[in-house]
Amino acid sequence: MAKQKKQKRKPGVCIPWEEKMKELPKITGDKELVKTVWENIDALGYVYIWQCLLSF
Amino acid sequence: MAKDMEKLYAQRLKRYVTAMRNGKPDMIPIRLFVAEFTAKYAGYTCQEVTHDFEKAFAAARKCAADFDWDAVVGNMVYVWTGLTQAIGTKYYAAPGIDISPDIGFQYLEPPEEQAFMKPDEYDQLIEDPTGYLFNVWLPRISSDVAEMGQPTSFRNNLSFLKGGMAMLNYFNGFGKQAELLRTESGTVSAISGILKAPFDIIADKLRGYLGLMTDVMERPDKVLEACEALVPHLTHVALSGADPDKNVPIGFWMHRGCVPFFSHEHFNKYYWPTLKPIIEAIWAQGHQVLFYAEGDWNAHLNSFAELPDGAIVFHVDQADIFEAHKLIGHKFCISGGIPNFLLSYGTPEQVRQYCKKVIDGVAGDGGYIMDASAIVQNDAKVENIRAMTEFTREYGVY
Repeated sequence: MAKQKKQKRKPGVCIPWEEKMKELPKITGDKELVKTVWENIDALGYVYIWQCLLSF
Repeated sequence: MAKDMEKLYAQRLKRYVTAMRNGKPDMIPIRLFVAEFTAKYAGYTCQEVTHDFEKAFAAARKCAADFDWDAVVGNMVYVWTGLTQAIGTKYYAAPGIDISPDIGFQYLEPPEEQAFMKPDEYDQLIEDPTGYLFNVWLPRISSDVAEMGQPTSFRNNLSFLKGGMAMLNYFNGFGKQAELLRTESGTVSAISGILKAPFDIIADKLRGYLGLMTDVMERPDKVLEACEALVPHLTHVALSGADPDKNVPIGFWMHRGCVPFFSHEHFNKYYWPTLKPIIEAIWAQGHQVLFYAEGDWNAHLNSFAELPDGAIVFHVDQADIFEAHKLIGHKFCISGGIPNFLLSYGTPEQVRQYCKKVIDGVAGDGGYIMDASAIVQNDAKVENIRAMTEFTREYGVY
């Protein structure tokens, strides 16, 4: 398989944390917690659209 | 869970997994892909099991409790029209709504000129598959989702809310169903996770079969790039739904990428080079893939034989199961091969004779799982399914 072109969104991601982070004020607490929760919930959006395509 | 049920579950899991690893278990495992048959057996209509997934779950559990099967799918009907209606999906004919309540749901492929993806949109798909699906594809396949740039609506907003919550509710139901299958009847949930080949999914849900036929002639490079762009996503989705215990395989549903729908040249250029790395990546994580080779895929057995030993379970539908066993049986477990027409129109004695022929020809050294050729729908006779089950239990002991 040929080398793939870089895609705008990685697998498992709809809105990357790096993009979301720019919208937030400076995080004074646990930044990693905010990142993890964002990514976990964002992944549900990814599941939704790919399952629509593949399963339903 | 009662101790005897836990013991039965452990026996069945060991039997099923041993066969899938191409080994010889104590007896031939039975794993039926029973879909609308479960409705018929449990006294439901196709509409009831398609539209009410709790009834579908109950019907699958009733079959699992009454037949001596090692493994089943929690709901092989799978498409839940409650969910597809919430999304506003246009491409299903639902039993009891669009078609008779006693006919299984149908997939409606649009005419080529109304394909959900237009021929000049390959670059959008390649650059950002997830964005393309949300922004372009979903509004086209849904009667409720508004196109990008168009005014939103109450129906648009509700589609995402209801669709998302319904999907989560349904998927959570499968976990509970697996536990009930285990505790009520000692039955293993046969598969976990989903995979489709990049080339197949472009034909199925994006360009349509006819559209893709045109594209491989008119824009072959774009087709290949699109297949390649889908590889990491389809791998990710498959792995995200895989069995964490690495016992049961990921279900891989094969559609129209084979000869004679496409040529050997097309298979070798598009289908296989973009499927093989997915299977290899999944196998590298320790998961098997069940090739549900719907139709006849024997023209491509030599390609499948390139995969590592044990990486797949090869399910035979209408192909020659004896040829499949001869060419790849030394590497992979084989399943299926009992013709559905026989289960529908034959007699129990004819079913027993055919099962004997398959067992004698394929199962001698283990590495075989008894199943019908294709998903069992409500045309199959109960007495034939019973004959298939009982004969395999009597004759299939090693």
